[in-house]
Amino acid sequence: MKRKYFPFSAIVGQEDLKKALLLNAVNPRTGGVLVRGEKGTAKSSAVRALGQLLPERRQRAGQGAAAVVTLPLNATEEMVAGGIDFQETMKEGRRIFQPGLLAKAHEGILYVDEVNLLDDHLVDIVLDAASSGENRVEREGMTLVHPSLFVLAGTMNPEEGELRPQLLDRFGLCVEVHGETDPDLRVELMLRREAFDSDPDAFAGHSSDEERRIAEKIAAARLLLPAVRMPSHLRGFISELCRNSNVAGHRADLVIEQAARASAALRGSREVSVADITGVAPLALVHRRRDPVPPPEERPREPEQGEGQENDNRQQPEDDGRTPGEPKENSGEKSAEGPEGDRPAESDGDRQEPAEPQEPEDRGEGEERSGTDELFGVAPSFRVRSIVTPKDRKMRRGSGKRSRSRVSQKQGRYTKSTMPRGTNDIALDATLRAAAPFQRYRLNPNGMAVVLQNEDIREKIREKRLGNLLIFVVDASGSMGARGRMAASKGAIMSLLLDAYQKRDKLAMVSFRKEGAAVNLPVTSSIELAARLLRDMPVGGRTPFSAGLVKGYEIAMNYLRKEPQGRPLVILVTDGKANRSIGSSRPLDEAFLIARRVAGEERIRYLVVDTEEPGLVNFGLAKKLAGLLDAWYFRIDDLRADTLVSIVKNMTP
Amino acid sequence: MKKKYTYPFTAIVGQEEMKLALILNIINPAISGVLIRGEKGTAKSTAVRALADILPEIGVIGGIPFNLSPGEDPETVRECFAVTGQAMPAADALPVELRKVKVVELPVGATEDRVVGTLDLEHALKAGEKRIEPGLLSGAHRGILYVDEVNLLDDHVVDVLLDSAAMGVNTIEREGVSFSHPARFTLVGTMNPEEGELRPQLLDRFGLCVHVGGITDPRDRVTVMERRFAFEEDPERFFAEWQEASQQLAERIVRARDLCPSVSISRAHLLGIAKSCLNAGVDGHRGDIIIMKTAKTIAAWDGRDSVGAGDIDRAVAFALPHRVRRQPLQDMVMDVASLPGVRQTAQ
Repeated sequence: MKRKYFPFSAIVGQEDLKKALLLNAVNPRTGGVLVRGEKGTAKSSAVRALGQLLPERRQRAGQGAAAVVTLPLNATEEMVAGGIDFQETMKEGRRIFQPGLLAKAHEGILYVDEVNLLDDHLVDIVLDAASSGENRVEREGMTLVHPSLFVLAGTMNPEEGELRPQLLDRFGLCVEVHGETDPDLRVELMLRREAFDSDPDAFAGHSSDEERRIAEKIAAARLLLPAVRMPSHLRGFISELCRNSNVAGHRADLVIEQAARASAALRGSREVSVADITGVAPLALVHRRRDPVPPPEERPREPEQGEGQENDNRQQPEDDGRTPGEPKENSGEKSAEGPEGDRPAESDGDRQEPAEPQEPEDRGEGEERSGTDELFGVAPSFRVRSIVTPKDRKMRRGSGKRSRSRVSQKQGRYTKSTMPRGTNDIALDATLRAAAPFQRYRLNPNGMAVVLQNEDIREKIREKRLGNLLIFVVDASGSMGARGRMAASKGAIMSLLLDAYQKRDKLAMVSFRKEGAAVNLPVTSSIELAARLLRDMPVGGRTPFSAGLVKGYEIAMNYLRKEPQGRPLVILVTDGKANRSIGSSRPLDEAFLIARRVAGEERIRYLVVDTEEPGLVNFGLAKKLAGLLDAWYFRIDDLRADTLVSIVKNMTP
Repeated sequence: MKKKYTYPFTAIVGQEEMKLALILNIINPAISGVLIRGEKGTAKSTAVRALADILPEIGVIGGIPFNLSPGEDPETVRECFAVTGQAMPAADALPVELRKVKVVELPVGATEDRVVGTLDLEHALKAGEKRIEPGLLSGAHRGILYVDEVNLLDDHVVDVLLDSAAMGVNTIEREGVSFSHPARFTLVGTMNPEEGELRPQLLDRFGLCVHVGGITDPRDRVTVMERRFAFEEDPERFFAEWQEASQQLAERIVRARDLCPSVSISRAHLLGIAKSCLNAGVDGHRGDIIIMKTAKTIAAWDGRDSVGAGDIDRAVAFALPHRVRRQPLQDMVMDVASLPGVRQTAQ
């Protein structure tokens, strides 16, 4: 199919992008380009336009060699790397290789839109080929290598989740694109677009001279490239540049050298100059720079910060009456008993062994001080560590990016074959193996080399990541209000929500305080709604922990009734200081009992985020509950992705 | 079989924004679709299904389910015949049929195979021939692809839609078979935002976005009930009653479609569009381009051959709500005109 593409030379602005693409077109060893940025900024137009400018390629027999090969997000491994050509295989009776997208992209451009949404194992295959210039196939009983030298162009919108740093590093250059801010340029852009849409041929005619000039420049530079020399003293300059930018590893040095050589070749020069290097270095360094401080949060949260500040101030006077380091939660609860002045004296009473905790509630009934509701801001969010449910043998379907699972759909990687289950996803290698022993005895009506019968058919078992159901059970009792703990907790939950958004999880939210627990948000995919609810979640009252736990469990069980293969994850955000029961037993005893009970349902996983502030005295109640629930246990700070402790070490026995 | 009557488009009470957005897309498919956001029971689906009656007719190549234009590249036509197990007739004997533009509905539970099409593997393994089972996208070419509850669609189906919508081509690729056919369609989606948002990438693919709410005027609500009742009592008669209005609407659409390419827009107005987008804080340039196209189409719909400031304001209200930059967990700004520096005309 032929299509008209917008001419490269007619693209308004986006100079960095055009430069990075040209450098790669001249020298594919530059390692491709990753385009990060907003939607609708001519990213794909530029890539496709470049495709028209690449020199004619030798056409392989029977293969339409498109200059730009697009890798769709739903691609399978065999589509990308190549697999068995079943038609030929059946006729010939021996394995015939069917080239994949990597073969088609040879000497052209491989374009991956939204590369950050692509399955990691596919990204690995693509990047392996990009860096080695060849594709190694080692699958379905085939072993072969074919050349695969292409310009890799990937685009991504960072809001949708980042690329893993290892993958990021493997893209040679990186360009951040933004919309033009000059209104006149935007007008020019609209005019050109409209002119192109109404008559593509005429438009292409206008810019054909310029297009030819660029195409010739690329062709000439490609010829010149092998002769371009890099003066040795400039290598020192490059490594200096990289060192100053705190770049990890040596890839940046190599990329800059290759890109600078392409740049020199484009100028028609046989020697790399300092300007070539300084011109390309920013593109090679931007995504490799390791900042000593984490990159600033883009989310505007000034008003929220202000709110948090205000809360802190408000609490200041209360703090004065307290022993520093003492778990403030209890003082809040106890203040119900008497006048403010009693507090320091009573704080001694709090210092009990966590082993035999006493419900503060036992010591007094009546109105709680924190009966008045407070609203806390949201602390800055952070990147959360990887939280996944363990793999099992069940088949699921769906989408998302959290936990690995076997899937009953034609997606994901082929891990093994099985007897047919009606998925029509035939595993040809296994089918052929099953048919092989009987060939001698079978009648052959079609003249095919291999005769298949129904009993030979084998299907593929595939594996991919899917989203989970996350049930947030949030402690909104008065004890959470003290010293900005709620702001920190909200920050942690918000971080988990952002993570859930990127992993495409479903979620539900329960909060418990005062008399009981309430379902704030039934199972939904609307993370926006959850975020809004969280921002507006008031704090105050007692801690009916058992009620919250039961509610979370109910939601999980209801979900499991609908989706028996589901993997709900209940995330308890609490300090565990239960002081209100559903029944008549003591609140903590009840909480422990219920925790033990609900832990019996193995399909539900629990994660406890302990909000108790580490201090002189810690009750460790949340940790104990986590133990009973067989849950993962984290303090808020442990949730950060940048703490190096592995999740396994944090699993309570 | 008795003809099944759909509720006539013209008989829908109120919801003028939504109706106009749909009409604009029929006049000018380059506007690239509309996303209808709103609560349940607000005639969203009724309106989209009713489009079938007022859509214009187009010439398609018969015998194959790909809605190909008679002017399509002969190589593509030949391939399309081949994969459905037919030989291509001689170029002068190509069967050309006149068909109404189709509204193809994509059910939420649709699998990727159903949408993209699939290879008949059974046939391939036993007879040794490639055979394609076309998917929904083949029928949607040059028509309207309607996705009810588009926000509940599986992510990988969304990806397929995005790829096709961006390229205008659908590719079926499995087990070494690769087959592409043209699939340029107007994407119409409905969603209830309470059930989850759309990914920004898909959001941006919809040219326009309208919000529908329930009708608040009691008299209008009564009219809704009366008409609905009349339709259910005797669909044939109801349909006949509205036949003339539908006819007029269809004719007006055809006139606007003819006029649209010659509508002009001044440089000052283009500058105004650019500034509106900058002031509203919109990602990329698709917003600018869609506003320009929409404003032109609105002018054509009103029978004028040049764009005025009012057209741009109306186009902005359609094209920007889902494009105003926001963080992943923020709500959408529905009232774009209230943002400073966006309106062209005084309030």
